[in-house]
Amino acid sequence: MKTWLSLAALVSACTLGGCATPKPPYDFTEFNKAPPRSILVVPVVNRSLDVDASNYVLSTLTIPLAELGYYVFPVNTVKVVLEQEGLYEPEQVRRMEPSQLAALFGADAVLYVTIKRWDAQYVVISTTVTVEFDYEMTHKNGPKIWAANKQMQYTPQNQQQQGGGLAVLIAAAITAAATRIAPNYLPLTQQANQQVFMVESTKLPPGPYAPPQK
Amino acid sequence: MTRAALILLVATLLVACVPPRKYDWNNYDASLYQYYKDPTSGEKFRVGMEAHFKQLEAKGQKPAPGLYAELGTLYLEGGDRATAATYYAKERDAWPESRYLMDTMLQSLEKSPKERPRK
Repeated sequence: MKTWLSLAALVSACTLGGCATPKPPYDFTEFNKAPPRSILVVPVVNRSLDVDASNYVLSTLTIPLAELGYYVFPVNTVKVVLEQEGLYEPEQVRRMEPSQLAALFGADAVLYVTIKRWDAQYVVISTTVTVEFDYEMTHKNGPKIWAANKQMQYTPQNQQQQGGGLAVLIAAAITAAATRIAPNYLPLTQQANQQVFMVESTKLPPGPYAPPQK
Repeated sequence: MTRAALILLVATLLVACVPPRKYDWNNYDASLYQYYKDPTSGEKFRVGMEAHFKQLEAKGQKPAPGLYAELGTLYLEGGDRATAATYYAKERDAWPESRYLMDTMLQSLEKSPKERPRK
């Protein structure tokens, strides 16, 4: 009996522990030293083989940041201005001094995103779509004030094997949304952004246009 | 319970879970994505934004940050510098954080008429 009880306790402890994900809280000391009002999102560096991925990811970054209450510089306008300055490649922009970039646009902070993975792997009957991004924000004076990394994977065929109410419906909804816009990548990208900006320990403090916190 | 009713229930729950958005984006992300994918959709993007702004302005609301400027840039890329300037000025007046950039763009529009190459 005692053995059973301790075993049960162990199992439940493991299960509960698995849920809680005891990550240390993210250190916002640098961020909070001079919290930005405005964020300059620069063209996305692409380390994947899909040449279009950079622009696609760029189109997903404005909404979550603005919804948090920050002024987000218009990403396409920023891209066009940089091109007029002769900066056609995101890598060129990445190599500039953040302070120089911030000064060019009058921004409080600069957000750099790098695509590390953006691929679909076809294995017999299942397809796994993977995206992975590095995010880094620097203060207008140069220091890094925030960083995150997120990988998201999606295997549509799983829904048949695991077959269970809500999960199936969510997966079906994601599939439907995905086929409307692009094969799977965009919803995954949006989820990755959502996670790092709004959900996980890296979630950003509310910006100046956020409703007052209670 | 029928399958349809179950789907409806779950759909309702899912909708209830999504927090309301602070701004009405009028599919800005999807339109921009589409524009990058197919630049000929720029005209549709432009018309959609204009209609959206009219609606908001009629209600005394301002569009989400950056949208006026994005429309300005679509006009600029189409060669209509005067209308571009109108929207850059609107962005500047709506969002103080954009003032420096918008003033810079307005000045460059005034200074170098016409000869800026189109891409």
